[in-house]
Amino acid sequence: MNQYTFSGTAKTVTIGAMIVGVVSMLLTWFVGADDLQSRFWSNFLHNSTFFLGISMMAFFFIAVCITAYAGWASVFKRVWEAMSANMLVGFIFMLVIALTTYFHWNHLYHWADAAAVAEDPILNGKKSFLNPNWYLFGTIIIVGTWVVFGRKMRSLSLDEDEDQGHDFAKHRSMRIWSAVFLPIMGFSSAAMIWQWLMSVDAHWYSTLYAWHAAVSWFVAMICLTILLLIYLKSKGLYKEVTNEHMHDLGKFLFAFSIFWTYMWFSQFMLIWYANIGEETTYFLLRREEYPILFYANLAVNFLIPFFVLMRNDTKRKLGSLAFVSLLVFIGHWLDFFLMIKPGVKITRDDHGHMAAHGEEVVHGAAEHGIHESVASSFEVGYTIPGLLELGTMIGFLGLFFFVTLTALSKAPLIAKNDPYLDESLHHHT
Amino acid sequence: MSGHVSPIRPPLVTGNKTYHQITEDLISPTERVPSKAWILGLILSVSVFSFGAFCILWTIWNGIGTWDLNRTINWGWDITNFVWWIGIGHAGTLISAILLIFRQKWRTGVNRAAEAMTIFAVMCAGLFPLIHMGRIWLAMFIFPYPNTRGPLWVNFNSPLLWDVFAISTYFTVSLLFWYTGLVPDFASVRDRAKGLRKKIYNFLSFGWTGSAKHWQRWEYLSLILAGIATPLVLSVHTIVSFDFATSVIPGWHTTIFPPYFVAGAIFSGFAMVLTLMIITRKILGLEDYITIEHVESMNKVILVTGTIVGVAYLTELFIAWYSGYVYEQFAFFNRAAGPYWWSYFGMMFCNVLSPQLFWKKSWRRNIWLTFFMSIFINIGMWFERFVIIATTLARDYLPSSWSYYSPTWVEIGIFVGTMGLFFTLYLIFCRVAPVVAVAEIKAILKTSGNQYVGPDAQHQHPKDVKVESEPNHTSI
Repeated sequence: MNQYTFSGTAKTVTIGAMIVGVVSMLLTWFVGADDLQSRFWSNFLHNSTFFLGISMMAFFFIAVCITAYAGWASVFKRVWEAMSANMLVGFIFMLVIALTTYFHWNHLYHWADAAAVAEDPILNGKKSFLNPNWYLFGTIIIVGTWVVFGRKMRSLSLDEDEDQGHDFAKHRSMRIWSAVFLPIMGFSSAAMIWQWLMSVDAHWYSTLYAWHAAVSWFVAMICLTILLLIYLKSKGLYKEVTNEHMHDLGKFLFAFSIFWTYMWFSQFMLIWYANIGEETTYFLLRREEYPILFYANLAVNFLIPFFVLMRNDTKRKLGSLAFVSLLVFIGHWLDFFLMIKPGVKITRDDHGHMAAHGEEVVHGAAEHGIHESVASSFEVGYTIPGLLELGTMIGFLGLFFFVTLTALSKAPLIAKNDPYLDESLHHHT
Repeated sequence: MSGHVSPIRPPLVTGNKTYHQITEDLISPTERVPSKAWILGLILSVSVFSFGAFCILWTIWNGIGTWDLNRTINWGWDITNFVWWIGIGHAGTLISAILLIFRQKWRTGVNRAAEAMTIFAVMCAGLFPLIHMGRIWLAMFIFPYPNTRGPLWVNFNSPLLWDVFAISTYFTVSLLFWYTGLVPDFASVRDRAKGLRKKIYNFLSFGWTGSAKHWQRWEYLSLILAGIATPLVLSVHTIVSFDFATSVIPGWHTTIFPPYFVAGAIFSGFAMVLTLMIITRKILGLEDYITIEHVESMNKVILVTGTIVGVAYLTELFIAWYSGYVYEQFAFFNRAAGPYWWSYFGMMFCNVLSPQLFWKKSWRRNIWLTFFMSIFINIGMWFERFVIIATTLARDYLPSSWSYYSPTWVEIGIFVGTMGLFFTLYLIFCRVAPVVAVAEIKAILKTSGNQYVGPDAQHQHPKDVKVESEPNHTSI
């Protein structure tokens, strides 16, 4: 079978998951304790950026493989093509965030508050980057570019299936599109990550932040690829995807989990070592107020893949691969939680504080982790993911798989005219 | 085995080579009388190195005062050269370990020479911290061992000490890796030799017989060393970057330094590999083994790493502005518009802009342009380290202590001398060992030889084996 049909249980489960997500989001909205709905919006931002990044990374990896003459994965490259169809979904979600920020219907970002910016010399200095206009237009231009590249690549790949001769003209054209995409992605992903994620902590900055977040996306993408392939194999599809391919995906998961840790450590250690108050506040807050997530992040995203996947055989067995992929996927979702929620919480608390006391509060004090009124307060949805966060994630994941499987069912599973297909079918590690 | 190579992969060994011809081509340079060019090169390199050695002695005898360092700029050419050489020493292990893991077959053409270059570059690099100590006779103080000096222990919190460990580990593993690869090749040299030469090479090849057991153990050792070497490629320059980034000096303290230094190191390492290989392939007539495809692949690596470095430069610049931290902002303003503006622009031009030429395929395959660019990048990467070190130090927090620094003849002499050392060692290496890994080229011949793959292949295989495990694909 070279064709996937999306029906039956798969459809029911993904739609069910989406319903769970919608219900969770509605509940979040209606049980929301504050009138800013920060819990709802931060969940929305968390999952939108996370899944948009994963789909962009799937496309990025296709581009990398083509540019690097890597042939081993071409047997299942349609899976990545299908995953990258989610860029359009992510684009729409980010547009929602950008528009609601533009119209001040959410309060995720401290810098979006013009009154606060006027008071604050540091935020005032960042005004020409951190402002709702650029947030909106930057998102449209950059994510729009990703979507255009993704669709172009997909259509070239489908056209290639129709080719009769062996001149590989389509492949050459794909190579050009891929090569051009790489530097665009290199610059633009950083700009987006600063804007969407780092600016949640509007005062804080770190040059490595964007690379760390991007690697997080990449690892999560590999996890979902492994899980999806295992699912498709369980349905009797992709018999050509052998243990050899899974082994290589396992190696990528292993290697890039270490690479992620390298990024995490480089950022943490340098900030810890230099001990500059403006910088340490970020990690101090997370270590003191979020100790479980802070250490679980390292344990799940480093220790588990490192020790489980170190052996040869665990990378070749679907059970152990699925186990690690699932855990690490959740681990990176938690990493994003930890990147977003503390900043959002401070922004919300400051806003509440101002409203309650009718006076301006210097925001910087809160970001330095010494905000007296909120210190050590435990709050589901902010300091730890609750059921609603989980439900929202399940909803986004359901949508992600729904879109992926729909795209997958639109084309043959194997791109039969890919120039590396023969190599990939006979791949052995 | 040889049947499953993509039709768009170019051959990596040209000239319809047989196994015997490969042995002839690659080993005979070690058996011939050296050419005039080689002798001339050696004389030149040794002379330059001698002058460098004299400058080193001059420094040790008279003290660091013979350099133009001052209270404000206390790191200058010395540390710039140290980082520059360490960076160059990255390509060898990247090629031998990481490209091995990524199964890049083109690595076999260049890995031997690149690894040799790595070892020589690390030796040159290691000189600088030693001389910079001033009292080189106290160099053993860097080793942590129980002692009667107080006891005076090393400072384990200092990244400079981590450097000692990182670089010595890197040197050891690189050397082992290189030598492991050489063992079967030394045996091939021995098998063709007579008399004393045979005895020497027999000793060097540890009595290698080529039995299946030997190969099995050799493969095993190579795999383990590749596993150890892979994190080392990242760790060495990461820790070198910590020398700067753990400080609180604006322009040095930035979290992107570790991966950005590693990318820059690979960038400069490949540039140096190209500089050497373009000369070597010409002089030794190795165009069939180090083909234009190899050159093109390396130029692609240069383009990628050059652009990564470009992303990092712009990230630093942007975040300096974004930080709202005036000292950080000034550090970058000073780099671009301060007294050393020319080195900043040299760096940007050589490292980020000029490699963009390699977007054009015919330019990636142009030997002269590649050679010219490789020199250019070596200069650019030297400027990068100079920008980071001297430019940043020249303008510190206190304007009354601002200063300007230019090297004395001693500092220039030592730098030029290390180049002499580097080329002396490389020239000797070319004479005593096969410059291209003989056994590894033979291993890829049937999947990458031009008589097996590519447009001129004589041993064609049926192309239409698509989706062969598909039972009913006619129904699609």
